[in-house]
Amino acid sequence: MSDWKLEPAKDHGLAPLERAKSLKRETGLVGTIGHAAWWSGVRTFMKVYHRLEVHGIERLPVKPPFVIVANHSSHLDVLALAAPLPTMLRDRIFPIAAADVFFETPVVTMFASLMLNALPMYRTNRGRHALKELRERLVSEPCGYVLFPEGARSRDGEMLPVKAGIGMIVGGTDVPIVPCWLEGCFRAMPPNKVIPRPRKISVHVGEPVRFPQAGNDREGWDLISRDLEMRIRALQPSKSM
Amino acid sequence: MPTQIPTSLAVTPELWGLNGSLDDRGIRLILAIMVGLLVAAGIAIGALAAMGKLKPEMRTELIKRTVAWAVMVPIVVVPILFGKLPTTILFTILSLACYREFARATGCFRDVLMSLLVVLAILALNFAALDNWYDLFVAVPGLAIVVMAAAAILRDQPKGYVQRVGLSAVSMLLFGLCLAHISYMANDPGYRGPMLLLLACVGLNDIYAFCVGKTIGGPKLAPNTSPGKTVSGAVGAVVLTTLTVVLLGPRVFHSELNQTHHLIVMGLLLSICGILGDLAISSVKRDAGIKDMGAIIPGHGGVLDRCNSLLLAAPAMFHYIGYVRGFGLDVPARIITGGH
Repeated sequence: MSDWKLEPAKDHGLAPLERAKSLKRETGLVGTIGHAAWWSGVRTFMKVYHRLEVHGIERLPVKPPFVIVANHSSHLDVLALAAPLPTMLRDRIFPIAAADVFFETPVVTMFASLMLNALPMYRTNRGRHALKELRERLVSEPCGYVLFPEGARSRDGEMLPVKAGIGMIVGGTDVPIVPCWLEGCFRAMPPNKVIPRPRKISVHVGEPVRFPQAGNDREGWDLISRDLEMRIRALQPSKSM
Repeated sequence: MPTQIPTSLAVTPELWGLNGSLDDRGIRLILAIMVGLLVAAGIAIGALAAMGKLKPEMRTELIKRTVAWAVMVPIVVVPILFGKLPTTILFTILSLACYREFARATGCFRDVLMSLLVVLAILALNFAALDNWYDLFVAVPGLAIVVMAAAAILRDQPKGYVQRVGLSAVSMLLFGLCLAHISYMANDPGYRGPMLLLLACVGLNDIYAFCVGKTIGGPKLAPNTSPGKTVSGAVGAVVLTTLTVVLLGPRVFHSELNQTHHLIVMGLLLSICGILGDLAISSVKRDAGIKDMGAIIPGHGGVLDRCNSLLLAAPAMFHYIGYVRGFGLDVPARIITGGH
C-alpha cells in the first residue's frame, strides 16, 4: 500500500456481479481471505498430488509488476503456475482467464473473482479494449498477471503459436515478462478430462525479459510473440529426460 | 473448581421463536401499517401512471424503489419477529455490509489488517449484545480503538497512520457500535414493538422529509452536504415523525414509556438523529466524491444509503429507553459466557 488517499475503490458503484467481472476490481477483506484460502489449498494439493516441482523460482522478480507466461494445455496450468507464488502477493497477482469459461455463470464468476482472483479475457471483439485496460492497470499499479499467450489450451500437448495479445499488454513497457514451461499438466489432465490424474508436474522458470523498445503496434506485437514463443519452447526439458 | 455451566442455547427460549409476538396489538398495528403503505404506494404509482402524470423513467424509478421496499421490509421484519438470535444475526450482517461500503468508498479497505480489526470489533459487539453482557459491550469500542492504534504501527508506514486509525475507529463506532445497540435492544423480552417502531419511524422520517420538501420547497437545509434536502422537509419530518410516535406509542410501549411526554422526546430524538445520520453519510459521500455508497439495492443505492438514518437514531432511542426504564434488567445476563 502506498501513501494513504481518500480514494474510493476503482470498482466502486458496480453491482456485485459486474464488479466480479470488472478489470478494475480491487480486492477487499473477503477476497483476501478467499484468495489466501484457495491458493494455500491449491499449493498443498499440487505438492501432494502432483509432486509439483519449480525450477528457477529465484528468477521471478521480487515485486510486481511482472507478467508470467507459459504454454497452455490443461486447466491445471494456472494452478501449477500461480500456486508457488508468494502468499503476500496473492491479491496483486491476477490469472487472466477466458471470460467464456470463467465469467459466464454467476457462481463460477464469483468463484473466479473471490477465490482465483482471475480477471476476464474476452476472446471476442471486446478483447482488444480489454487488453488495453489490462495494459493500463499493469503500468499504473504494481500488479502481476499470469497468462497463457497461446490464447487457448492445446488439444494435443504441442505448444500453439503465441498470439498478439501479450504484445498488446506489454509492448513498449518496462514490465518484465517471465517465460515458463509447464511439464506434466497435459498428462495429468488433458482438455478432454475432468478429473486430474496424479502425474508429476514441474514448472521451469526462465529469465525475465523486457520489451521497452518494441512498439505497441502490429510489428512490435509480432516481435514479442515470436520472441516469447521461442523462449518458452527453449525451456522445455528434452523429451528423452 | 466449580465451573459455571453456560446455559445451552436450546434451553433459552428467548433466543428464537415468535413468542406470541403476533398477539401483541401494537406489533400487529405496525405490520399492518407497513403492508398498507406498500400497497398504497403501489396503487398510487399505478393510478398516477394511468392518469399519465408520470414520465416513463420516473415510473420505472418509483416501481424499482417500491419493489425494493417490498423486499427489504420482510428481510428486516421477519428476523425481528422470530427472536433475539435472528435479530442479532440480521444487524450483524447489516453492520458488516455498511462497513464494507464505507471502507470501499473511503479507500480504507486497502488496509487489510485494519479492516479485519473493525470486523472483529463488530462481531464482538454483537456477541456482547447476544450474550447480554453489557460490560463487554461497553468495553469493546474503546479497546478496539486502542488495538487499532497499536496494530497500525505494524506496517511501519507512518504516512497515513492518523487517517487509517481514524477512519477505522469512526467506522467501527458508526456501523459497529451504533447498529449493535439494536441487537442489544433484543435482550428485552418486549423488544419487538419498540424496535419495529424505531425502524418504521426512521424509514417514514425519510419519506416525510422527501414529500414535505417536494410539496413546500423553500431554502435548502445543507446545500453543500445534500442539495436535495430542504428546511421545510426537515421541519415537516420532525413534526410528522413525532406525531407518528405519539400516535403509535401507546399501543407499542407497555410501560411508563407510553406517557405522552416520553413519546414526544423519543419522536424528536428519532427524527433529528435520523436527519443527522443521513447528513453524516452524505458528507462522507461528498468528501469521497461519489454519488451512492453502493449498488446493491435497486433504486436506493447501497445498504448504507438506506441505513444511514438509523445509525444515530438507534443509540439515541436505546439510551432514552434505557434511561427511563432500563434494558434487559429482568432477564438473565451473560447467557452464553455464563459469568457474573
